[in-house]
Amino acid sequence: MDAIHDMGGKQGFGKIPLEDDYIFRADWQRRAFALVEALAWATPYNTDQHRHAVERVTPEEYLRLDYFENWIIASETLLKEAGLVDRSELETGLKRFDIDRKKHKPVGSKEIVEATRAGAALRFPDDTRPARFAVGQSVRVSKAQTAQHTRVPGYVRGKVGEIVSDEGVFQFADAVAAGKGPAPQHCYNVAFSAKTLWGEDAEAEDRISVDLWESYLEPV
Amino acid sequence: MLKKTSGSDDGHAQGHDHTHDPLEEGAALRVRALEEIVVAKGLVDPDALDSIVEYYERVTGPRNGAAVIARAWTDPEFKDWLLNDGTAAISSMGFSGVQGEHIRAIENTDEVHNVVVCTLCSCYPWPVLGLAPAWYKSPAYRSRVVREPRAVLKEFGLEIPSAVQVRVWDSTAEVRYLIVPKRPAGTEKMSAEELAQMVTRDGMIGTAAL
Repeated sequence: MDAIHDMGGKQGFGKIPLEDDYIFRADWQRRAFALVEALAWATPYNTDQHRHAVERVTPEEYLRLDYFENWIIASETLLKEAGLVDRSELETGLKRFDIDRKKHKPVGSKEIVEATRAGAALRFPDDTRPARFAVGQSVRVSKAQTAQHTRVPGYVRGKVGEIVSDEGVFQFADAVAAGKGPAPQHCYNVAFSAKTLWGEDAEAEDRISVDLWESYLEPV
Repeated sequence: MLKKTSGSDDGHAQGHDHTHDPLEEGAALRVRALEEIVVAKGLVDPDALDSIVEYYERVTGPRNGAAVIARAWTDPEFKDWLLNDGTAAISSMGFSGVQGEHIRAIENTDEVHNVVVCTLCSCYPWPVLGLAPAWYKSPAYRSRVVREPRAVLKEFGLEIPSAVQVRVWDSTAEVRYLIVPKRPAGTEKMSAEELAQMVTRDGMIGTAAL
């Protein structure tokens, strides 16, 4: 999705806020983080759908609001879309209708830590799919644009880079966010020269590496 | 765009922060309403909220990553393993889980300095570094470090000589990156435990040298 979250290379944001060296500076941020994590286990949406919902926050709000408030807006959007809450409930915190609790079981306090420690299986065996590209090969990033969730940052779109490594076969975030299942494919680390990306403005002969799924790439 | 900057950073600001920032108050109310409704609906067990925060604040964090780095500096076999299969080597030390299912360790050398970002959101290797600091998620860091990494690193106080190449790693897919900083000179006799004390979070992001 071509929205404000895709920040690589944008200009005008000023100095790095080095003083913002905290994880949480208010308790509501801590609660917001915990809510997003805990809700993930009881709701039909997945992490990539949550990412897409953050991307759907209006650009004006995305920049003005705190990082964790955008996470909360995304959760509200997905809960509403799933029919689990309505607008009035979100505004007041007061329940107006019940949901099917058998379908939506809350995660317990031990269970959530165990599941977090275990992580999710995002990778598939390397031979699940043949690899279309080889290390050292030049590739061009697709110019295709989409309103859906994608992991192609705008700043490499249409640019030529070199395959540095084949990271293996992974679930494809674009498909997962679209609710189409894992659709596993190879994911490559692709290096771009700073001059390829930024022209004569490049600071030096530096290199920017981006992880890109096979669908995003075309042979040169 | 105004990034909120000031405010107490002790992590226990609520109730002690009298700035009455309307944005903060709106967000706090919004989060409280969401918590109330999802608990009332049975979607969330309040105990799970406490346990997940405690897990991230007490069990994960940069000291995990520091232990990995110190071991790599003192154990060449482990270092080879770490650089070839970061996920397995790190997991062997007991660090694994969400946002760390696939970790690649990248070594800083005399020729190359590496730095990590997530331009699209805030991807970060949680099991070894904990949750990301706010500046890592800021528009300024995410927009600039891929375009002018040397200028950004200079703001962190790190000047990269022109003979050294900078490599920026944008965490756009499922791999998370951990930078192995150069071992400081004069530490040859130090134990892994002593060395771990010298490894900083920013050193493992690549925004600081040690």
